[in-house]
Amino acid sequence: MATAKELAGNTVDNTVVGPSILISGRLTGDEDLTVRGRVEGELTLSRTLIVEPSGVVKANVAVKNAIVSGVVVGNINATESVELTHEGRMVGDIRAPRVIIVDGASFRGRVDMGDVEPGRLPAERPAVNRPQATTRPTVRPGATPPRPPTPSAAPPRAATPPAPPPPPARTAPAPTGPATVVSRPASKPLPPPPPAAPAFTPRAAEPPRPAATDQASSASAPVPRVVAAGAKKKVVVKKSR
Amino acid sequence: MANTVIGSSIVIDGEISGDEVLVIQGTVKGKISLKESLYVEGSGVVEADIETQNVEIAGRVTGNIVASDKVELKTDCRVVGDIKAPRILIADGASFKGNVDMDMKER
Amino acid sequence: MAQGETGIIGKGIVIRGNLTGGGDLVIEGRVEGQIALKNHLTIEGTGRVQADIRAEELTINGEASGNIDASTRVAINASAKVAGDIKAPRVVIEDGAVFNGSIEMDVKLPDDI
Repeated sequence: MATAKELAGNTVDNTVVGPSILISGRLTGDEDLTVRGRVEGELTLSRTLIVEPSGVVKANVAVKNAIVSGVVVGNINATESVELTHEGRMVGDIRAPRVIIVDGASFRGRVDMGDVEPGRLPAERPAVNRPQATTRPTVRPGATPPRPPTPSAAPPRAATPPAPPPPPARTAPAPTGPATVVSRPASKPLPPPPPAAPAFTPRAAEPPRPAATDQASSASAPVPRVVAAGAKKKVVVKKSR
Repeated sequence: MANTVIGSSIVIDGEISGDEVLVIQGTVKGKISLKESLYVEGSGVVEADIETQNVEIAGRVTGNIVASDKVELKTDCRVVGDIKAPRILIADGASFKGNVDMDMKER
Repeated sequence: MAQGETGIIGKGIVIRGNLTGGGDLVIEGRVEGQIALKNHLTIEGTGRVQADIRAEELTINGEASGNIDASTRVAINASAKVAGDIKAPRVVIEDGAVFNGSIEMDVKLPDDI
């Protein structure tokens, strides 16, 4: 890619789409691209996309880095980073190991930074819960959505069939509903929780508590609410500034 | 100075439209319609119908060109297609295959 | 809880259940359940929260999983690890922070999109 540029000789280093220009279709390249006008369709770069304040990108974007000060409608898939500056506006999903959203930016959509961290929490939890949590496989509504895509979720799932727990796991889907594929007992029950998650119902919070009993002090667990309410007040007063 | 530059490693498959100067060093397939000047530089490859005011071609163009003012084919360019413009300049060393139509209505 | 006071849940504290209140709150320990706060909630670097959170403003330096609903602002700082869906007019994610989930802000788009 560097050679292509060298061949071009005295060329400008990066591509600029001027404010009055509209490109619609598929755009690919191995250099930086600055958009001050409008690009629609599909955009694939092995380097950096810069959407300036006047720029509008209505496309699915695959790049190394993206810096958005203008408008992006569509999904961005970046191998390195995506930054929404204070003027950036975006509607769509971001998938990148580094995502930066600066104050003033507006964004609506999903952010997926990969399994850097979620791998840890869900991984240790299912390992503890699954054997006996047959009646409620969907333990943590908040944490479950990111789990499926993470590779780290695979080991526990793959480990289930050979282990003793499968029989109970198999019975769980039966009352829950349709004929499930035996190899993935957890995959069927999973879909329901996301809809329930957004609401602030007490129900959403309850499952974690019993499940967490086995990880932590099981003694205090049975009376969580009372203890917690009392503890909260005491603690809060304790160190008030 | 040109506002828009399509760099040498860029490939665009689709349509480009606008009213400012456009410089193409990369590849454009599809259609180009501008109200200003278009420059296809030595490294530029265009496989598109072009509609613009002025065109200067030093690279390769395959497609029909309609210019409201002028078309200039520079040395070492390779152009295949029909050209329609009131003024057409073809430099020594340019390679061109197609029809030329300078018969604009105004004339 | 008195208005304007800042409560602290210290490092050694684990709370399971609902947490509601009117003052600012700093969490350095663990909270599991639900949090509904009228003012500013800060989850410090040592804080671990597994809860749906509702607050006016939320600053996260530690770990949080659950859905977040803030009426003004959510700041996910560089050391934070957050999983869940966020709804707030302003959301800031610093470089280095880890976040997985969705964000819902009000996005004003040009008319012609």
